[in-house]
Amino acid sequence: MTRGLKKNPVDFLFGTLTGIASLSVVVLIGGIFFALLIESIPAIERFGIIRFITTVDWDPVAEVFGAASTLYGTAVTTVLSLLFAIPVAIGIAIFITEIAPSFLKGPIGTAIELLAAIPSIIYGMWGLFTLAPIMEEYIEPFLQGSLGRVPLLGILFQGTPMGIDLFTASVILSIMIIPFTASVARDSFNLTPSIVKESAYAVGATKWEVVKDVVLPYSKLGVFGGVVLSLGRALGETMAVAFVLGNNHQITSSLFDAAATITVSLANEFTEADTDIYLSSLYYLALLLFVMSFITLAIAKLFLLRAERRYSR
Amino acid sequence: MNVERRRKIMSSVALLLSSLAALIGLFWLVFILADVLINGIKGINLSLFLEDPAPPGMEGGGLRNAFVGQLLITGMATVIGVPLGVLGGTFLAEYARGRTISRIISIISDIMVSVPSIVVGTFVYAIMVKPLGHFNGWAGAVALAIIMIPVVLRTTEDMLSMVPWTLREAAFALGAPYYRVIIQVVYRGAATGILTGILLSIARVAGETAPLLFTSFNNSFFSWNMNEPVASLTVTIFQYAMGPYESWHTQAWAASLVITLFILFITILGRLILKWRFGR
Repeated sequence: MTRGLKKNPVDFLFGTLTGIASLSVVVLIGGIFFALLIESIPAIERFGIIRFITTVDWDPVAEVFGAASTLYGTAVTTVLSLLFAIPVAIGIAIFITEIAPSFLKGPIGTAIELLAAIPSIIYGMWGLFTLAPIMEEYIEPFLQGSLGRVPLLGILFQGTPMGIDLFTASVILSIMIIPFTASVARDSFNLTPSIVKESAYAVGATKWEVVKDVVLPYSKLGVFGGVVLSLGRALGETMAVAFVLGNNHQITSSLFDAAATITVSLANEFTEADTDIYLSSLYYLALLLFVMSFITLAIAKLFLLRAERRYSR
Repeated sequence: MNVERRRKIMSSVALLLSSLAALIGLFWLVFILADVLINGIKGINLSLFLEDPAPPGMEGGGLRNAFVGQLLITGMATVIGVPLGVLGGTFLAEYARGRTISRIISIISDIMVSVPSIVVGTFVYAIMVKPLGHFNGWAGAVALAIIMIPVVLRTTEDMLSMVPWTLREAAFALGAPYYRVIIQVVYRGAATGILTGILLSIARVAGETAPLLFTSFNNSFFSWNMNEPVASLTVTIFQYAMGPYESWHTQAWAASLVITLFILFITILGRLILKWRFGR
């Protein structure tokens, strides 16, 4: 395969050029990590690691910065959006692979993937001007009146519904990640050999039993990979939540309160950071986000590769 | 008999719920698109494209600066990102085909495709804005290019791998060196696929906002100068939507409509080409 490399100088040059170009990806990902690390050194030295993560205060005036509130906001919106998105996404994948007549498979698959093509700023606009008022007016009061009365569960729905809160942000986020989970799940479902499904049908299984007992166990690695991939996406999503979260650094038990995520703090405060330690603390947040999403995405990739290797042959 | 009926009912219920899930997905798509269309169409007029912004709070004016800035930034990002991506993909699929390094870089690219774009923005701020002391258009272009490179690289790799190896052997047999085989045979065979990949990557970055916030920033005046802050549609939408004026909101919706139509058009076009070319 390296044929001709030694004989022809032009070939050597072209080969080297392509090699350098492909290394740019490695250089960039390493560069991002080190640049963020260097920029956050002042904050790391001043606040440490454990203390930074566990401090709730985020006070630019007193120059006390902690990541707990933003990490909390990131965790809540991510988990909640996954809870909303996974059932719908898997339902969509089942519909496309098992139920839809073949002339509908393509168009519906494409339509769902178009959801992923809509820019996140559009989700943000729509969330702020259309979804948030609907939430404030109808859905949140309804939830307060029903689930809010259940003991224990009720603390999640306290306060005055404003529409600008963790709940609305999670709903928007869930719509954004549905296509990722759905398309990975669909591809994994399609890897199930049809002969295995046909065998199940032959012994009298219903369609749902085939999905539940044959397709899902067969594709669980891939589906799990897809879910983790969506988790990674949700962690780093910025503009869709920046509009409807309110950027309020607090830890709150109610989903109807404004909060902040790492991405939202960065988007809102980065250009306003007037002191070095403020900017450095924001870089520290960005570093945490980068490391978290890198690990998440690497895990997702691992699962997807393993699923592919096991079933593609 | 009873068990059988229960199984049948269970199956119907589950299938009904799955169909409902598909409807929910379609519902959101239609809801969002219709909303953007209805709100956006009110703000579409000639002056939106031909005039620069009016002073804050005043009626009238347009977003000419943002349209031109968006084209400038996206265009430069394409010029920087596409060659690196295509060449890098060539290395993975040709010179390093089957080697461990090829697999490693491939996996890193896949991860990089999903790295939060706002992190890319903070990175470019550190290397291109802070040292210069001011926001500039080049930084925005570089930020978008960084997002583009792994996308183009992976598509190129996939598309080149689909060209049959025997085609290369036929060219080798005529005595052609590898680089000529790649450029004259392999690229030609994979051209449609690569071009489509580039198209889709442009659609991907054209809607990015987060990486531009701290790099090209915004500029309420018309400017060709990439060494200064350059306006972009997406950052303008963010600023206008969060702003207090009704006329700003109208223009933000109109800009949203234009950018959504542009991206959906390219995405659908790209998918149709891929389907027509590769039947998938």
